Amino acid sequence: MSLSIYNARILDPASGLDETGAVFIDRGKVKEISAGQTTAHADAKASIDAGGLCLAPGLVDLRVKTGEPGVEQKETLATASRSAVAGGITSFVVMPDTTPVIDDMALVRFITERAKTSAAARIYPAGALTTGLKGEAMAEIGLMANSGAVIFTNGDLPVANASILKRAMAYAASLGATIMSRPDERALSGSGVMNAGELAGRMGLSGIPIEAEWIGAMRDTALAEATGCTLIMDQVSTPRTIEIANAARERGAKVFTTAAAHSFFFNELDVGDYLTYCKVNPPFRDEATRLGLIDALKRGEIDAVVSAHDPQPPEEKRLPFGEAAFGAAGLETVLPAMLSLVHDGPLSLLEALAPVTCRPADMLGLPQGRLAANAPADLVLFDPGKPWLCEREYLRSRSTNSPFDGRRLQGRVLRTFVAGEEVFTHESIA
Amino acid sequence: MTRAAYHYSFDHEHLLSIEGLSPLDITHILDLADNYAEATRAGIRPDPVLKGKVVVNLFFENSTRTMSSFEIAARRLGADVISMPVAASSVKKGETLIDTAMTLNAMKPDALIVRHSASGGPKLLSRKVDCAVINAGDGTHQHPTQGLLDTLTIRRTKGRIEGLKVVICGDIAHSRVARSTTQALHLMGAEVHLCAPRTLLPSGTDTWGAASATTDFDKALKGADIVMMLRLQLERMDGAFLPSRREYFSFFGLTKERLALAKPDVTVMHPGPMNRGIEIESAIADGEQSVITEQVEMGVAVREAVLHLLAGGRA
Repeated sequence: MSLSIYNARILDPASGLDETGAVFIDRGKVKEISAGQTTAHADAKASIDAGGLCLAPGLVDLRVKTGEPGVEQKETLATASRSAVAGGITSFVVMPDTTPVIDDMALVRFITERAKTSAAARIYPAGALTTGLKGEAMAEIGLMANSGAVIFTNGDLPVANASILKRAMAYAASLGATIMSRPDERALSGSGVMNAGELAGRMGLSGIPIEAEWIGAMRDTALAEATGCTLIMDQVSTPRTIEIANAARERGAKVFTTAAAHSFFFNELDVGDYLTYCKVNPPFRDEATRLGLIDALKRGEIDAVVSAHDPQPPEEKRLPFGEAAFGAAGLETVLPAMLSLVHDGPLSLLEALAPVTCRPADMLGLPQGRLAANAPADLVLFDPGKPWLCEREYLRSRSTNSPFDGRRLQGRVLRTFVAGEEVFTHESIA
Repeated sequence: MTRAAYHYSFDHEHLLSIEGLSPLDITHILDLADNYAEATRAGIRPDPVLKGKVVVNLFFENSTRTMSSFEIAARRLGADVISMPVAASSVKKGETLIDTAMTLNAMKPDALIVRHSASGGPKLLSRKVDCAVINAGDGTHQHPTQGLLDTLTIRRTKGRIEGLKVVICGDIAHSRVARSTTQALHLMGAEVHLCAPRTLLPSGTDTWGAASATTDFDKALKGADIVMMLRLQLERMDGAFLPSRREYFSFFGLTKERLALAKPDVTVMHPGPMNRGIEIESAIADGEQSVITEQVEMGVAVREAVLHLLAGGRA
């Protein structure tokens, strides 16, 4: 089945292409990109007039949590994938902190198989770095890698013991495996529930200090440098953490950084009257830090932006702030959050798309995340300016704990394709 | 009763925090409380403005003093009072704060008095119920009736609030009393100075209305009209936040010698319960400068006023 999408504003951050044209898709792959073409390819079996709207590579998301296996009432791979494609995300990595923990090859294969049979998007498992995520013993990194695990991580709680982390990094480096770790000195941040500072003090909430992230980043980059391991620093939340990464890179360390899409959008004041949907880790920081993070993104120093999707059902969120679970549902709001940096911020469309398409794909060595001949036909068609009101009851995730609930957003996904198949169509055009 | 000549109405549904109250609101509450205090002293039974009303004491954290104070206040005004120490009951069975609130709400009480160990707990609850919610202390956030009773005690003792130098010393970081009292006194024009060891002194106390925050108790005491000592939980003193009890007492304990640095007519306060010999010498706690028992007395009066305003229809 071949398809021509024409009269589209074609955006390919990998090559810098931003032109009106047409894309020809055949057998799940992009066959041809015809810049300037405003009519359908004559030999296509089907065609779509994009009406001048944006056509970009499907988004690649390095950090998604679901509840499968074990806590399916939060989210399954299938429900997460439906939410993902509604947000234009066509590939995502699922975290290993499930029940049981994804720490052996059978469980890695379970995820891959379940994803194949039930999910609308491409799903890649992350393997646990340590057995049971306990931070004590190295998990079977090599066997899991051979079974399809794309990165290794200790999830929300980084390995506390530097010696264990150093050995895991050295071992992973010898296999060419990539480790993703949250820079976080838990001895400092452990009891915190929101950004440390004046507001936390006034609200009587314990704080998560920024220096907990800096110390974690200094330790992790030093170990990455010492071992030659490829390290993705997961969800950095301050500009100084980026400086620490930059310094390590200058010395030759293979260090990447990611940031959560919501951290560019919210600051600590959004916690307001103890709104638990705004309880995330790392927490929303102060306004100067948020702006500093946007500057770092503009300079290209943040390699990838993630949804940090962490579905939590009402019983985990309808609690006093200190007792509520961390986490925000984020799959459907990554693109609008990035577009807000175009509409109200300093980014160009291509600059906003690169950290959610080609850059994360490159970090994993995946061929998607770009619009190029022979790349997988994972595409998203979106209207960049379309205003909409985010209401959680209309989100597709099984848990709708979104801090964007009630926010006016701009930019809406209209169609999403995975391997040339349309997997999402917005109701306005269906 | 002092009736304001100007048009004024107490326009609050709940009392969750001092934040959100105006100086006029506070004056109104204190005036009413003053009358209740005088009535009690004169042995006059006040009008039963809460007759037929149901007031529920919902305490998720153990407390004898505050719960009894609210209970006595509500009974004096004729309310039917049910006191539920929830710490030991349904919460242990996995029932959440909201479930408990919804259940109680269905029984149509007129006021819920809530103490909870989590900051923001009463606020969360107030969103789910139809009646007035009074915060009786939430985590390390607020204890508004304490802030009001401290303000009333000071006003009665000194005849004014404005321009007074008030020093609050102790575990500021973990104290909901410090937050509420600082805010209330600042709103009424006092100059509040906070004093604590560095590890118990959070940043940003100026946003509460504090004039200064210092670790030098002796310096803070100079010229003070009021000294309020806060309770320091014993577990915070053994190495975690402070080296030892005796080291704390030597730098921050209120002794006779230290008190001499303040004004000669200085007044000593403590929200209780006290650690005698750790934050305050017994001789001072029981001395003539101390108004600690009057604070307890004013607690009942302030709570009568607050219940009257929130559950008794408009005054």
